[in-house]
Amino acid sequence: MPTLTIDNQTITVPEGTNVLEAARQLGIEVPHFCHHEALGSVGACRLCAVEFLEGPVKGIQMSCMVLAKDDMVIDTGSDGVLAYRAQVIEWLMTNHPHDCPVCDEGGECQLQDMTVAGGHGVRRYTGPKRTYQNQDLGPFIAHEMNRCIQCYRCVRTYQEYCGGKDFGVMGTRQRLYFGRFSDGPLESPFSGNLVDVCPTGVLTDKTYRYKSRIWDLQEAPSICPHCSLGCAVIPGARYQELQRRRARTNRRTNGHFICDRGRFGYGYVNHPDRPRAPLLGHRRVTWQEALAALQNHLHEFCELYGSGSISMLSSSRASLETQFLTKRWANALGSGQLCFEAHPRRDQAARVAASQAPDCSASMEDIRSCDMAVLVGADPLAEAPMLALALRQAARRGARIVVVDPRPVELPIDCERHAAAPEELPRILQGLTRPQQNAFASASEEFGGALGRALLEAKNPVLIGGSDLLGPQGCQMLLKAAEACSPTGSTCRSMLLLAGPNSFGGAMLSDDGPGFDALLEGMEQGRIKSLVCIEADPVADYPDRKRCRAALARLDLLVVFDCAATATVQEADLFFPTTALEEAAGTLVNNEGRMQAFEKVFSAGTPLLQSAAGDHPPRFFSRDIPGSHPQPAWTTLARLLGRDAELEKVRRELEKIDPRFDGLAGLTADSEGCRVVAPRQAPALVAAPASGVTASDQLHLLVTEHLYGSELLSDLSPCLQAVKSDPYVWLHPQDVARLKLVEGKPVRLCTSLGEWTLELRINGDISPGVAVVPRLRGTVVETLVPGSEPMLCRIEKA
Amino acid sequence: MATLLSEKQIAQLKRRVKETPHPREMVLDVLHAIQDANGWVSDEGVELAAIVLGLSSLQVEEIATFYDKIYRRPVGRKVIHVCDSICCWSRGSEAIMLRLQQLLAIAPGETTADGMFTLLPTCCLGACGEAPALRIGRTLYGGVEPEQLEAILDKERAEVES
Repeated sequence: MPTLTIDNQTITVPEGTNVLEAARQLGIEVPHFCHHEALGSVGACRLCAVEFLEGPVKGIQMSCMVLAKDDMVIDTGSDGVLAYRAQVIEWLMTNHPHDCPVCDEGGECQLQDMTVAGGHGVRRYTGPKRTYQNQDLGPFIAHEMNRCIQCYRCVRTYQEYCGGKDFGVMGTRQRLYFGRFSDGPLESPFSGNLVDVCPTGVLTDKTYRYKSRIWDLQEAPSICPHCSLGCAVIPGARYQELQRRRARTNRRTNGHFICDRGRFGYGYVNHPDRPRAPLLGHRRVTWQEALAALQNHLHEFCELYGSGSISMLSSSRASLETQFLTKRWANALGSGQLCFEAHPRRDQAARVAASQAPDCSASMEDIRSCDMAVLVGADPLAEAPMLALALRQAARRGARIVVVDPRPVELPIDCERHAAAPEELPRILQGLTRPQQNAFASASEEFGGALGRALLEAKNPVLIGGSDLLGPQGCQMLLKAAEACSPTGSTCRSMLLLAGPNSFGGAMLSDDGPGFDALLEGMEQGRIKSLVCIEADPVADYPDRKRCRAALARLDLLVVFDCAATATVQEADLFFPTTALEEAAGTLVNNEGRMQAFEKVFSAGTPLLQSAAGDHPPRFFSRDIPGSHPQPAWTTLARLLGRDAELEKVRRELEKIDPRFDGLAGLTADSEGCRVVAPRQAPALVAAPASGVTASDQLHLLVTEHLYGSELLSDLSPCLQAVKSDPYVWLHPQDVARLKLVEGKPVRLCTSLGEWTLELRINGDISPGVAVVPRLRGTVVETLVPGSEPMLCRIEKA
Repeated sequence: MATLLSEKQIAQLKRRVKETPHPREMVLDVLHAIQDANGWVSDEGVELAAIVLGLSSLQVEEIATFYDKIYRRPVGRKVIHVCDSICCWSRGSEAIMLRLQQLLAIAPGETTADGMFTLLPTCCLGACGEAPALRIGRTLYGGVEPEQLEAILDKERAEVES
């Protein structure tokens, strides 16, 4: 722990800290471009010069390239240093255009800040500037090469950190060009990070172009709702429109970056079809009328059929506060018919995940620093994209990454792949739970055992599972395996990928409550007369859509609270509009059990662009902001419970009733969050039915998540439509040959749920005997939902 | 694309790439093979190299555009590289460049009308001890005086024509 003096202040920093970071810890910001905490130092921009007065190094040196050592005395602002920096910044600026007033980076330009900080105010260079042809980099990123100052941050982010291969640096000296070999969309699913790392206006968010300056944006610390990882983001809104999302730093979760689904999935908030007013049938009513109707109906049901006739369903999209008050409301009404996930198998899997001991679960930070990771049935890019990036960082440090999966799991790293059939996964997990055993019953178990031994020998091993493929039984085995593979003195941490941003919270609150299956049975038998869906979409999320629709049709009353025009909203007898995540404050519990608070970014209202059709100011007058009816679900629930809608009170109440949520009331949105204190009880699982014998022409159908098009909210974002795939089915070349099919040609997929015509794609990494179909909302296959047991199917020529 | 190299050459290069622990080590070899066969490396040449090496076109292009001895545009039958780096500059490379421009009637970066010579400045030929230096094709000329240039060009021209 070296101790050094910087600008007359003394500080002790950990070994390996460079002088730039040490200064930053003292609150001294040394001007710099190429250094970035996540990317490290390269000493390329020459701007972070400081003067070393005493100690092992003397004179003017780059602070990012010198490690802090004892007895160093440093002056970050000596005359020599200031003159040096002024010269460097003047060089960097020679070719830079004078387009600041119209530049897309205006207001958040690090180059501008550093130019001013560097003391370069007047341009002396009068010669011609080098100019470039820009490229079309696809729907997300705008390219303006003339502004480039060659800091290399983009290449280091794109290639080194994110593993992209199609964007880089060409040429030499003053002719450097940062771009692609030819025009075309950037291929990396993390391309949006270029916007955040580019210190000037070369690479900017195309979807946000010509919309706002940063100082006009309403921003607040928030959480990304598009998977279960809970990455930190900063959404920005203006004119009642959510205009962009950028990454926020949380060293325990996402680090500094986010994925493109998270960055560009924001458009759901502004969707023109978003229902914004309470509806009774199809008639617009006031909140008072709607609430009165709700209370009257429920009162009537209680009187006529008893409180058991009322059921409630929330979801992993709902905040912890909403879930908690839903539960309180169900309790108050006396109904135990409550669950937090429409997909029974996902529900059970989340309950298993929440039974994991908090000190054994892996954070993304643990994964970035692991030395071995085994993924069983987990497809990071599809189910939790930032996990792929975390694994890449581990691999870059030399970690061994093993992927065991029936699907062709793609990762931005070279890793060991083991194509295992779905029915092999439990046997492999079985082997993993007994790493010390000598003889195994099957080759799969033996393989699992060998992996287990490797995990035992590792220093910081991690075992990662996807709950969709593993199911509750598999998830439970994975947690057991992690326990068995813990080396003496340390822990094999485990991570389970879950269905949504608050699956964990719902599972914690579920206790031994029924699954949605039981609720459906009640509806079918006529015991349950009403269902209140609070930010839940059972029609789309229950694996058997026909059964779900038929059961809902038997209800006397279907009430839906939601912020999106879901399939269930279409069926609702009574509808209440709720706020989107960015329009209210709340808490989400991510897949490792980390409670993370988010703040309200802006107030709900129809974007001016829509309500005024481009006119400004709008040409009609009213007391209310158009489209401002959505209310946070939890405030409505608080009203129904007859209490104050105060977030603090709700959090304190939850903390008091359930000490596992200790720390919730003290959470701030800009913190790293905190883990739930204790696990829930492991649920009692019913053994899964053994999958039937397959006939020679039958395959196991796996419906899986896809990076784009599977998750409800991001799929409503217009800018992600451009990258959404058409429906397809993946088969192994062996099966394609056996079934005499032709790649690229349409084929017919026949299952017990229906038949569809899809494009055939061939992949050699897939397990033979398996057909993989991605979940794509709004396409012919939208009724196919991931997370179910593999179903039998046939595939024939269309 | 296949006409840039023969099937046999491609197979040979692929075999060598396979034997190399890091395919990137072979980027220049593959690019030079394409350049030797075609005089320069076209976009299609970069794409072919990428296929042979198992890299992305961008990864090949990053290297192809870094080195000034890989020609990404058509050049004459012989390329003249005149060093303008510090040692050669201090020993008179500017005069050499000027004289060559007069003799060839072209500016740096251009090719003579007969397609014989392309004139390029280069930042170092690794011949600082023999400054000022220039390179024509693969022949290095050190300690060059402007008066010698006409004879050098004649010799180089005669070599091609014979």
